[in-house]
Amino acid sequence: MDETVAEFIKRTILKIPMNELTTILKAWDFLSENQLQTVNFRQRKESVVQHLIHLCEEKRASLSDAALLDIICEDVDLFDMKQFKNSFKKILQRALKNVTVSFRETEENAVWIRIAWGTQYTKPNQYKPTYVVYYSQTPYAFMSSSMLRRNTPLLGQALTVASKHHQIVKMDLRSRYLDSLKAIVFKQYNQTFETHNSTTPLQERSLGLDINMDSRIIHENIVEKERVQRITQETFGDYPQPQLEFAQYKLETKFKSGLNGSILAEREEPLRCLIKFSSPHLLEALKSLAPAGIADAPLSPLLTCIPNKRMNYFKIRDK
Amino acid sequence: MDSYNAPESTPSASSRPEDYFIGATPLQKRLESVRKQSSFIPTPPRRKIPQCSQLQEDVDPQKVAFLLHKQWTLYSLTPLYKFSYSNLKEYSRHLNAFIVAEKQKGLAVEVGEDFNIKVIFSTLLGMKGTQRDPEAFLVQILSKSQLPSENREDKVLWTGWFCCIFGDSLLETVSEDFTCLPLFLANGAESNTAIIGTWFQKTFDCYFSPLAINAFNLSWMAAMWTACKMDHYVATTEFLWSVPCSPQSLDISFAIHPEDAKALWDSVHKTPGEVTQEEVDLFMDCLYSHFHRHFKIHLSATRLVRVSTSVASAHTDGKIKILCHKYLIGVLAYLTELAIFQIE
Repeated sequence: MDETVAEFIKRTILKIPMNELTTILKAWDFLSENQLQTVNFRQRKESVVQHLIHLCEEKRASLSDAALLDIICEDVDLFDMKQFKNSFKKILQRALKNVTVSFRETEENAVWIRIAWGTQYTKPNQYKPTYVVYYSQTPYAFMSSSMLRRNTPLLGQALTVASKHHQIVKMDLRSRYLDSLKAIVFKQYNQTFETHNSTTPLQERSLGLDINMDSRIIHENIVEKERVQRITQETFGDYPQPQLEFAQYKLETKFKSGLNGSILAEREEPLRCLIKFSSPHLLEALKSLAPAGIADAPLSPLLTCIPNKRMNYFKIRDK
Repeated sequence: MDSYNAPESTPSASSRPEDYFIGATPLQKRLESVRKQSSFIPTPPRRKIPQCSQLQEDVDPQKVAFLLHKQWTLYSLTPLYKFSYSNLKEYSRHLNAFIVAEKQKGLAVEVGEDFNIKVIFSTLLGMKGTQRDPEAFLVQILSKSQLPSENREDKVLWTGWFCCIFGDSLLETVSEDFTCLPLFLANGAESNTAIIGTWFQKTFDCYFSPLAINAFNLSWMAAMWTACKMDHYVATTEFLWSVPCSPQSLDISFAIHPEDAKALWDSVHKTPGEVTQEEVDLFMDCLYSHFHRHFKIHLSATRLVRVSTSVASAHTDGKIKILCHKYLIGVLAYLTELAIFQIE
């Protein structure tokens, strides 16, 4: 074995924490079971490493083998699907005797989990299962809302432990369209690359004017209309918006009005309001408001931040 | 006795919201002028806040409990020719026969419908504003129970009632042969409403017309019902707007804690015992302004379709639900006014 290869392998192994060493070596699958069994992993790390290098020499490790080990080490999370499934199932079954758990792996490193819930004494209800989609290469999971609240902490715990994370936090983002949620969470909605050297002038593109139209016809407020179009485009972009059905705002803010300063002037308490926007395609609807004259441009950041903040449930208070 | 004053004065000019919109878009200015025009409809610029009227003390809460918490579809009805309260039993029989005949004709086919029905006409005592108002009456279709046992109550399939609350302006215009009950409320299958409507139209030469409630009147209702004194609130105060944007529809719901809505109203309200046009406008403008401050959207450019309070809730399609027994007469008075306006 080349000295440089040996040195490279040595340095790579030294970087691996001891508790992950056996897992990584197994994943590398270069040294045989028999060989690994001869190694005493309880020794000092240096001794373990030396022994491993010796074994690699015996098997004549090449540069490509070393490179493969390097790649495996880079994948720090080293997601083991089998281990995840076992762990997840065990946690649920230990807590509730009666629970049905099924898995289905799909492409994009996603695993679909179906859980039918029972209790210590009743069989699982197969007609009201909960679905979870976990993207193993990301710290995100998507949960259907069809479940009793009392099972939520247990489900959260099972996911957290099985996926080897510390804690699970609920995001204020809900929708019926999983693809839209993915688009927002993984920031995938901005797919089209904007070209700044467009040949058609901005004015015509956005206002749909015919370039050959009679120049004696002028549009009233054309400057304002252009400004609104430009701002709308800057805010929302040219690409199709992810599909959300609603946004909800819980407001607790004081009433301040330019209309008549005396209204509710002495009142210290805020107005308790709950505002809900609903639409088959909320973001597209919001996008059309300013051009239609129903809203000011720029639209309020409370609305435009929805994809960026990845939230559609908000609580707003006076600062 | 609270008598209802219908002033003949035209709506007074009030400070208009366009004064408050700095930099209003042309669309908004156009909408404001349309709104101004629509108030040439001679609705009074002021109305009395619903109070518990003397007559209402006679209304047995138990007897009218079934009218509350139900959704009623509203119609206006022209005066009934030669209707008599002493013939109610006869009317029950005739209508019963008519319904059975219509259903057998296959005009209204409902799967599994049982033709063992019973029609009952009854009067609703006390459901009026002044002594001049005709007595309200009720029509119910019940399904006759198959087993003749005392415990089995007949199931009510359809209910409709006719009333007139403070209908002086209409009563003055008709002769003795006519009975004026301009407000009709129906609950139950639409097919039944159609059959019963046909029978009444044939028998009494009258005409039903669906009563829609426009945004202007919904705002008035919201203000008046918010003005009502309540011991405790059973529902949040909520408004629903439909936004005319395309291609997707957008609905905006604005719910406000009823105590906060009342506080806002009290701050706007100046004339004791009455509600004026200015106050209604200002109340709504405060809500629009609070909303605009947060979202930069002009609710005044959208269409108000539903208002909901602890007193009652109303939808622009002519649907109403009354939640509070105390203000039942007050709510009906407003609706009677709308019905009369539609007839005239």
